[in-house]
Amino acid sequence: MDVTKRKRELVEEFSPLMSKTTKTSKIWMIFLGIVILVGLYAFVLQFMKGHIVTGMRDNVVWGVYIINFIFFVCLSYSGAFIGGILHFFKTPWKNSVARIVEIITVLSLIIGPIFILLCIGRLDRLHYLFMYPRIQSPITWDIIAIMTDLIGCFIYLYLTFIPDFAILRDNSEKMPKWRQKTYKYLAIGYQDTTSQRERLHKITKTMSVMIIALAIIAYSVLAWIFSLTLQPGWNSSIFAPYFIIAGLYSGVAVIIISMYLIRKFYNLDHYIRKVHFIGAGVILLVMSLLYGYFTFSEYFARWFSHKTHDVNLLDTLFTRYFWEFIFANYIGILVPIVILFFKKFRTIKSITIAAIIAVLGLWLNRYLIVVPTLETPYLPIQDTREEFIHYSATWVEWSLSFAGVAAFILFFILIMKLVPIIPMSGIIDNERNGKNLKEKRTNNSN
Amino acid sequence: MENNKTKKGSTNRRNFLKLGLMSSVTAVAGTSIVSSLAAQEEPTESTGEKVRLLTPDGKMVEVDATNINKYPDAHVSPAESRKGIPNKKFVMVIDLARCKNARKCVESCQKAHHLDYNEEFMKVQLIQDNEEGSPYWFPKPCFHCDEPPCVTVCPTGATFKRDDGIVLVDNDRCIGCKFCVTSCPYSARQFNWGHKDKFDDKSQPYSPETSIPATEGTVMKCDFCPDLLRQGKLPHCAKACPMGVIYFGDKNEDIVTNGEETVRFSELIKERGGYRHLEHLGTKPNVYYLPAVDRQFPLERGFNVDEDIIERYKDVPYVQDLKKQGKI
Amino acid sequence: MKTYFTKFSIIAILIGLFVSTNSIAQNDEVKSYKFLYKFNTTKQEDNSRLLEVSFIAQHKKDRKNKVPVFEAEINFYNTTDEDDILLGTVKTDKDGFARLILPESQSYITDIDDYINIKAVFEKTEAIKSYKRSVAIKDIFFDLQLKEIDSVKTAIFKAFTLDSLKIQVPAPEMDVVFSVGGMISKMPIEEATVEDGEYEFEFPTDIRGDAKGNVDVFVFLEDHDDFGNVIHKKNINWGTSLKQNVISENTLWSEAAPLWMYIVLTILLLGVWANYIYSIIHLFKIKKEGKELELATEIEIENNQE
Repeated sequence: MDVTKRKRELVEEFSPLMSKTTKTSKIWMIFLGIVILVGLYAFVLQFMKGHIVTGMRDNVVWGVYIINFIFFVCLSYSGAFIGGILHFFKTPWKNSVARIVEIITVLSLIIGPIFILLCIGRLDRLHYLFMYPRIQSPITWDIIAIMTDLIGCFIYLYLTFIPDFAILRDNSEKMPKWRQKTYKYLAIGYQDTTSQRERLHKITKTMSVMIIALAIIAYSVLAWIFSLTLQPGWNSSIFAPYFIIAGLYSGVAVIIISMYLIRKFYNLDHYIRKVHFIGAGVILLVMSLLYGYFTFSEYFARWFSHKTHDVNLLDTLFTRYFWEFIFANYIGILVPIVILFFKKFRTIKSITIAAIIAVLGLWLNRYLIVVPTLETPYLPIQDTREEFIHYSATWVEWSLSFAGVAAFILFFILIMKLVPIIPMSGIIDNERNGKNLKEKRTNNSN
Repeated sequence: MENNKTKKGSTNRRNFLKLGLMSSVTAVAGTSIVSSLAAQEEPTESTGEKVRLLTPDGKMVEVDATNINKYPDAHVSPAESRKGIPNKKFVMVIDLARCKNARKCVESCQKAHHLDYNEEFMKVQLIQDNEEGSPYWFPKPCFHCDEPPCVTVCPTGATFKRDDGIVLVDNDRCIGCKFCVTSCPYSARQFNWGHKDKFDDKSQPYSPETSIPATEGTVMKCDFCPDLLRQGKLPHCAKACPMGVIYFGDKNEDIVTNGEETVRFSELIKERGGYRHLEHLGTKPNVYYLPAVDRQFPLERGFNVDEDIIERYKDVPYVQDLKKQGKI
Repeated sequence: MKTYFTKFSIIAILIGLFVSTNSIAQNDEVKSYKFLYKFNTTKQEDNSRLLEVSFIAQHKKDRKNKVPVFEAEINFYNTTDEDDILLGTVKTDKDGFARLILPESQSYITDIDDYINIKAVFEKTEAIKSYKRSVAIKDIFFDLQLKEIDSVKTAIFKAFTLDSLKIQVPAPEMDVVFSVGGMISKMPIEEATVEDGEYEFEFPTDIRGDAKGNVDVFVFLEDHDDFGNVIHKKNINWGTSLKQNVISENTLWSEAAPLWMYIVLTILLLGVWANYIYSIIHLFKIKKEGKELELATEIEIENNQE
């Protein structure tokens, strides 16, 4: 196998995906742009008028923004966790999904903190967090964790990009000048020599171990923001593991959905195959069982020991939030289990539907963690204003949420224009290893 | 001859009338000038608080009340406010047996801190611990806990606990993350959600000890009125209570007073069975409650308030009973 | 007659126009108030005498509507058989109080029974009639001794007046309150009926006092017919050992965090950032190698071309 020739073939295969924009893609991007612009308008409105335009009031002071923050950050951490673990698998099929996972990791870690910034009352004083930090506060830990993790994930993503940038740089005669320049600059002189390759593999390996550890620590810190308080419903000892499991569950689900969309819109049937979906589906099944187990433990203990404030909280969950609770904790768990358990039901489409249900269920689960506790404090809320008793998000909050999702998708599409979504270097590595393996076998049999 | 006399007489009369007219005009003009001067005596920049006074001439005038905060002599900057009043450990005792929901504590606190109708640093709740239990009016300020969960979670140190036990909020440093609001188990904190005109009041610079003027996007709460404590006066709520429900004092001195009675703090707690709310949470609050036994008057007296305030208590079983019986 | 009548009516109309309607209305207002005029006297801790008048208007119908009279001139006189000696003039403040403090050295002229007669007069004005109240008081002396007798803290109290020969005469029976001073108010520790001008009691052993252990002990005589109000004060270091405020440091809620938090955070951050720097160093090495390779291939190409 001539490596150079193979590289050229791969570039020719993937470059139309990067440079051409189909009509549907254009329309889609314009639509996303509009959603983002509406979100920007909502942000400016909130910045000028203050948080009174949101639905948050004196008792439920954390709403949709924090929920989105937790959700996106959990995507990121689960992506980091899965990406790190995937790195240790030497199987060929991991290559197709590895980059998708990495990109999800970094993008959601950029979008997530934007939501927490929306929740802060005085954005003009943000620098006080760095001038007067208090190290006893879980928020300080969270800031340090997110910043460290963002840099780490970014470095890790870049490390995986370098070989592909090198391939693109070497085979970019047909591409516009700015692309050639970018690839040359970003490839930092990687020539795919053995020593360079080994060095890159070494640092990628240590980085992937670090990423796994960081993901677990950083997400536990986020869970501790809730579980280190005294509030009923939050002060639980298993919050950190619960958040990690729920995070992994939603992360795998989002990976499945993005695999499906990319495979469909970029015609990558050859690379993203049913086996990927089945593999991810099995992981989703395991995660949903674990998630169901943790959720059950949480609520069962509370219901059984029926402390007054726990009973009040469960009352709120089962009366006001009944349908959300059913969807998040019954449908969101049982439907994916049913779909994924039986081999008959495991088709690509059904697995994706299971993933969508899982994602929605998990978002609602976050909502049910944050809001009902704030609506049932220790001392009863005795107020007459409806917005101070119950929380209902306003259009500002919803539009900013959708803008966040739209930004996530848009940035994903833009990155896919820069670098092929299936790592070419990975394909070449697999083929090279496969050839080596074949040679070894023939040598052994000889 | 006769003409001269009448002429002189008429001139005299006219002169007299003229004099009378002139004097009355001057008198009236004089008093109006004096009264307008009296009204303009105070400088035009005001804090808005006016008192009605009667002048010796029988005119009702409105003048600015003396600034209770004694600004500018006694202004305490945010940095200085982090050190407490030395050798003090403030404590409050609330006598639930006497509270009849007069809400004078709420109103005087709102007036002193420039709060709107629905913003209450001191809340009065109606608590019924269980179905058989007797409901009681529950005035609830910030408890200024000795192990405050709100101070622990503040990422910038905008809320702090001083050596004299008071927990204050520095609105110049608060970034509005609302973590402290979610972590207080007694729901004692409030947030300024939008801009209000009163935030632009520049008549006195901001001090965490007065909590005036508040800022948009920051947290505020009961501050135990340290500006009054420095002058040796009771906080507004304790002073305003007509029933003497709120005792305030210094644990180090072991003396608390409600304005009329001054008693030993340790004796009061021991003899009347004083307790702290939600003690098991480990926050160690500095507001003690005396149980609602041997009440001074029936609970129904407390329903003599506005409709919308009674609406607040609609979830209390006792109020629901009253409604069924048609009493309110 | 007609001209006089016209002139008179014109002048009356003019007067009517000039007289502001306000003042007429206000005179009506004043009429609907009745006035509370009170006068009392207090002999203070430093033996000065405070003369206090409170002058407040109370609405006749709405009893809770009370308005203080502001800047009303009150004259205080020491009345004697011959004439009134002016002691001082004070204007009422925004609370309606007029206070005059006369020093210890102030001399008064007593009457036959050794009473000092003081009267406070408000001269009448257009709107308000004159008010005056008088009190007749005798000068009384309090003496509080705080001694430890047989290791028991005791307070010995004496009250006496001086007759014309400057001989101490024990004060008649009266009720006094002994208090200790606190930050905001004074706490009573003993209420006593002083007979024959003497009283002794055991000082409580658990009075905290201030930070240094000093206690202010007060004696209050309130509203006595013969003596008015009297306050006497004495300071003694009988406060019990004070617990200094335990200022907790390095806790979750203090400015400085527990030490282990700093240590753990430093270790974690150092570990992570060391890894990042390690990766970046190796990236630079890759770049260097690539550059060298590029130069080598360029030289080779040049050589081949030659």
